[in-house]
Amino acid sequence: MSIMKTTEKQPILGIHNLNVWYGDRQILRSLSFGVEQRRVTAFIGPANSGKSTLVRCLNRLNDFTPNFTFTGEVFFKGNSLYATKDADTVRKQIGMVFRKPTLFRGSIHENVAYGAQISGVTQSAALNASVERNLLRTGLWDLVKDILDDTPEQLPTGQQQLLCVARALAVEPEVLIFDEPCGELDPIETVKIETLVRELTDDCTVIFATNKRRQAARVSDVAGFLYGGELIEFGATEKIFTNPEDNRTEQYVTGRLG
Amino acid sequence: MNSLMTHPNPRQKFVLQGIALVILGAVFFPVWNVLKKTHVSDVPISSVARVPDPLSNLFNDLYFFLSISFLAILLGVTCAFYLQEWLPETNWVRRLVENQVSILSGIPSLLYGLLAVLIFLPYSGVIQKIETVSSDGNVGAASLKATVFQGDTTLFYAMLLTFVILVMPRVIKTTQAALRSVPMPIRESAYALGASRSQVLMKHVVPIAFPLILAGGCRAMSCAFATAALFIGVCIWSHAPQSGQMTGGFVLFLGGSLILSILSSFLIERYSPVPTRNT
Repeated sequence: MSIMKTTEKQPILGIHNLNVWYGDRQILRSLSFGVEQRRVTAFIGPANSGKSTLVRCLNRLNDFTPNFTFTGEVFFKGNSLYATKDADTVRKQIGMVFRKPTLFRGSIHENVAYGAQISGVTQSAALNASVERNLLRTGLWDLVKDILDDTPEQLPTGQQQLLCVARALAVEPEVLIFDEPCGELDPIETVKIETLVRELTDDCTVIFATNKRRQAARVSDVAGFLYGGELIEFGATEKIFTNPEDNRTEQYVTGRLG
Repeated sequence: MNSLMTHPNPRQKFVLQGIALVILGAVFFPVWNVLKKTHVSDVPISSVARVPDPLSNLFNDLYFFLSISFLAILLGVTCAFYLQEWLPETNWVRRLVENQVSILSGIPSLLYGLLAVLIFLPYSGVIQKIETVSSDGNVGAASLKATVFQGDTTLFYAMLLTFVILVMPRVIKTTQAALRSVPMPIRESAYALGASRSQVLMKHVVPIAFPLILAGGCRAMSCAFATAALFIGVCIWSHAPQSGQMTGGFVLFLGGSLILSILSSFLIERYSPVPTRNT
């Protein structure tokens, strides 16, 4: 997992001097970093350190937050993310899974097929194929293949979250953001999500925000430590967790800070 | 909002209701005086009320009532969608409209009825039209309908105006509350998948909010029914002796409906499912 080989590659997401305010309150202070393709990039940090705000900036979900203002630039594959008016297309390419599993009305099949419909699939055969492919990918297919027409609310929380991942994958995004996806899950369900995240890097870039240090160490290739809205350190996960440059990072990863 | 309005204790509540009664009385008595001075021949509805067949008149009224309230509710729902979904919360137009809506929706519907009878109908030129028709000896719901639909739409607009002012604020208030009740995570998840605003609205927001919007429409319609009580009162008046004296029954009816209206407005405000905004 050496980071050195890939540093020459153009990052899929580039963030330059990003400052974010909610009203008068500054949440993020001059962040600059690059997210590499087909890697898991994790952001760790204590509560209120700006992790969620940061990842919500990366797919323009903050557009709906009142009093949201920002300076700086976010580049996606070389193009400015905020220059285009078509934020829906941006979110099709950069998907997101939230802390709490949110199920839509309708059956399990309809929930996953909705993602495919968003990406423009209309034929029912193609929809069925997409549902099966993405449920297989998340490991849910064997569990739910007989109850596809039932409501997903009967599933346990972990499977609901996997269903949300399947739905997000059905849109076929290039980048998938996880915002504390295991916040509501038990350890066994957490392992399933973590394994899935590792497998996703075959064709997808993953950004992973979490406040669990060990989870970030297990899952990520690259990690960033956010504290009080500042990016204290950003680099290879091994280095962050074994030989950090900044004193605060060391204190956090060893459990003395936050 | 001060503490008196948010958590009134029983005594403060009593005082508030007393103040409301005094204000209502102050509004009602001038209107009452105008009504007393008006001669029966000036009353606009009287010629309509002398329709020979009460059943056809009833169906005609229902026909008007349903079509016009449908239009008013449609307008109100559209307006609420625009305010809640398109305008940001800090927009001054939205704040202005929301303030006006909360003031208007607190007024007892009986007063809207008086507004309609005393202002909209006399000034809309309907009386002349009806008198022209009735001079042909052709009075009735059918001829009124013919007048309205043969290119002359003044009565339609007068009724629409009354209904819009009466029904729209209540519909806007309940529809906005229904739209606010749609869980934010549902919206965010749909947006995060890349759904456009119209897709989110049609696929997620409207199906969840629809039952509440419907309930709000029904509530507004029942307020409109309360207004109809006034028109019944006017019909009774039109059958009063030609001297223009109030009959005892009519005074009783009007007083009773006023008390009922005040009571219902308090009850509606007290038990309304609409959460009041603390901004």
